[in-house]
Amino acid sequence: MNLDIVGRNILRIDALSKVTGKALYPEDIFMDNMVYGKTLRSKVPHAYIRIDTGKAEKIDGVIKVLTHKDVPNNEHGVIFKDHEVFCSEKVRRIGDPIAFVVAKNKKICELALKEILIEYEEIEEVFCPIKAMKEDSPKVHGDTNIVYHYKIRKGDVEEGFKNSYAIAENIYRTHMVDHAFLQPEAGISFIDEEGRVTVMVATQYPHYDREEIASALELSEEKVRIINTNIGGAFGGREDISLQIHLALAAKVLNRPIKAIYSREESFIAHAKRHSMIMKYKTGADRDGKLLAMEAEIVGDTGAYASWATNVLRKSGVHATGPYFIPNVKVDSIAVYTNNPFAGAMRGFGATQVPIAHEQQMDILAEKLGIDPIAIRMKNIFKQGSITATGQVLTDSVPLDRCIEKVAEKIDFSLEREEAY
Amino acid sequence: MQAYRGKTIEEVIQLLAKYKGKVIAGGTDLIIDLRNGKLTSDTLIDISSIEELRRVEEYDETINIGAATTFTQIIENPLFQENLYGLKRACNTVGSPQIRNKGTIGGNIANGSPAADSIPPLLCLDSIIVLESIKGKREIGLEDYYKDNISIKEDELIISVQFKKPDKGQILSFAKLGLRKALAISRLSIATLLELDENNKVKTIKIASGSLGRYPMREPIVEEFLLGRELTVDVTDKAVKVLQQVMGERLGGRSTLPYKRIAVERIFKEALGDGLKRLKGVEIW
Amino acid sequence: MVEIKLKVNGKSYILEIEEDMRLLDLLREKLGLLGVKEGCSEGECGACTVIMDGKVVNSCLVMAFQAEGSSITTIEGLEKEGEIHPIQQAFIEVGAVQCGYCTPGMILSAKALLDKNPNPTEEEIREGISGNLCRCTGYNKIIQAVEKGKGV
Repeated sequence: MNLDIVGRNILRIDALSKVTGKALYPEDIFMDNMVYGKTLRSKVPHAYIRIDTGKAEKIDGVIKVLTHKDVPNNEHGVIFKDHEVFCSEKVRRIGDPIAFVVAKNKKICELALKEILIEYEEIEEVFCPIKAMKEDSPKVHGDTNIVYHYKIRKGDVEEGFKNSYAIAENIYRTHMVDHAFLQPEAGISFIDEEGRVTVMVATQYPHYDREEIASALELSEEKVRIINTNIGGAFGGREDISLQIHLALAAKVLNRPIKAIYSREESFIAHAKRHSMIMKYKTGADRDGKLLAMEAEIVGDTGAYASWATNVLRKSGVHATGPYFIPNVKVDSIAVYTNNPFAGAMRGFGATQVPIAHEQQMDILAEKLGIDPIAIRMKNIFKQGSITATGQVLTDSVPLDRCIEKVAEKIDFSLEREEAY
Repeated sequence: MQAYRGKTIEEVIQLLAKYKGKVIAGGTDLIIDLRNGKLTSDTLIDISSIEELRRVEEYDETINIGAATTFTQIIENPLFQENLYGLKRACNTVGSPQIRNKGTIGGNIANGSPAADSIPPLLCLDSIIVLESIKGKREIGLEDYYKDNISIKEDELIISVQFKKPDKGQILSFAKLGLRKALAISRLSIATLLELDENNKVKTIKIASGSLGRYPMREPIVEEFLLGRELTVDVTDKAVKVLQQVMGERLGGRSTLPYKRIAVERIFKEALGDGLKRLKGVEIW
Repeated sequence: MVEIKLKVNGKSYILEIEEDMRLLDLLREKLGLLGVKEGCSEGECGACTVIMDGKVVNSCLVMAFQAEGSSITTIEGLEKEGEIHPIQQAFIEVGAVQCGYCTPGMILSAKALLDKNPNPTEEEIREGISGNLCRCTGYNKIIQAVEKGKGV
């Protein structure tokens, strides 16, 4: 292995093109005979729909209005195929794609969008994941809203709490977060010289995109080509399909290049969010601050589609104890459908929400026990050889103690605490 | 859409009489509203290159700021570095460098936002707005413009905002609470104009607030409370209570009230304290 | 349609434009200056920043017809005789570039700042680039790059 670059400052290979403005993102690519596309999205969170594109199709300059009827296999999704390329009977969130207008220019696209008639027959919606878990709640897909339930059972939590001197019991909530990558979604699709449906797009997963386009268009994967352009930030927000299939379908049907660019507003409406979570925690410690038991129920709102909910909620469950050894642990980590914007990947993938809960639990326990918040952590942190709640033995370096010491020293934590108490 | 680039005030008021179009100067709000459909207009009349509208003029007793003067021009003008510093500070908190380079004082007035940063200092200065149409000129008090909801007519152009120069011993200050340092719409703002007598008692006090009501306004009850008193810690604390009482009645039932009631203390003291510091040369609180 | 005259990156143009066109559209679509990026269309992100008569502006918030008679510099105008500008070089060397989408606007804000104030403090640099959002770097590397680019 060539390790020459380790420890050296290496200039980014694409930095020169980016500082000179020459780096091309999808919206910077123009082709001969190119047309534009724009998506019509649901304005209501839960409804049966009827679509009438007749009026829009008659507008001068409109080339085609694509709907579910034009899609050979109208489904996609990174794990569960629960997205439709275009909604056929029902919309499940504000922003669900219903139709895709192809026209000579962007202005005509806008005009045509207003002329597509959607009749919404609204049905009861559910926005609270706790309510959504109940049997009598409106169902977003199928006959249950529970997408995934991850469990950890270690030791005997009841026994642990019985032996605890102090117990903290609280509910924590985090909100959904948008990645707000700086370059809104854009792409261009065309049929290349070998007859392949080619999509140039800023994506995190060109290989998944290829698979999903091929499946939706019922083509072999060899007939689909993804070219990743420069990507204007992603942070997880470009892991799901956004406009890839819409563009590929239009290019295939029309046999000419087509481009689409989302506005910032559409970008916010279209792509996944960080899962908002409701985390019910019960943590017990002995008189010295040694943790004895923890019970957590973590409910993640995955909105209208599952996306990476299984992986995200699994990760939340695995990290639910925080970096602390606890002998008795019970974790239930559940992903739930609602009619909210859908949630998916975002930096940290479920590991970022749980510290809001487990770290406040530590502070609250410290206060209850009259122990210094650093001391209580030092007593319980993972060290080399520790066994996590899932049974993993940490064989390699676990220098958390040194990290905490260093931080405490740098922020002069002792001083702050004297004032606080 | 038609677009005109006005070269003189005369030309613009003629165009306004003819087309009742929208006047565009900095465009930093107008272009957004036009694009998202909040506003529609068949005619845009640009005033951003009319020299008479984009300058600050100092007379013996008054200062006249042309409506198309940008925030950056005000910030860089030597007139606003001393006792009128509060106006500079307010303009400096608008948006970002890009927005301040385009956004204008006239635009801040015309769009009537309760959070317009430049307005509270101008209210402390008892400013008047000068309007012109083919029917002639008209002056309205800035305070009345907001309080009495006086509308600028479709054919009228804001020419300038004017105020009497305060005495050297009168200090204009400004403080704002935004959710972050840049590109933040103010959650609340306070401007004060302060003068002390030889016994350190408040001789002149004008206080104006932003985002503490439906529009930026003067706070006469607080002014009255402070007049003639020495600005001790105790008196200032009491003034905060008076202000909290007044805003409580005004914002009753609003979800933001509990937050603003607490936050206003710091912002009020920052503005007043800045005035005191500039007058006395020392940090008071 | 209206006709406007303006100077972009030192070159004079006479262009026929649509009345509702923004300066951003003019630069990207009429002149093919694709280093001008559209991030939010409402003056929040600064990706479309250009220098207009010596001052930074959001080109999404200027109507094209308002640019009559003005002189515009875009990122494409910084290269002189095949050499990139020292600020561009500093961005490369310091590692201030990640996704690159904020980079052109960020560099132009830095340039306008240094043109006016050749030796800014860190606080002044932060203020100077406060109208440009970056979602990747956390800004520290960008500030270091501006520090490095100053006085060169």
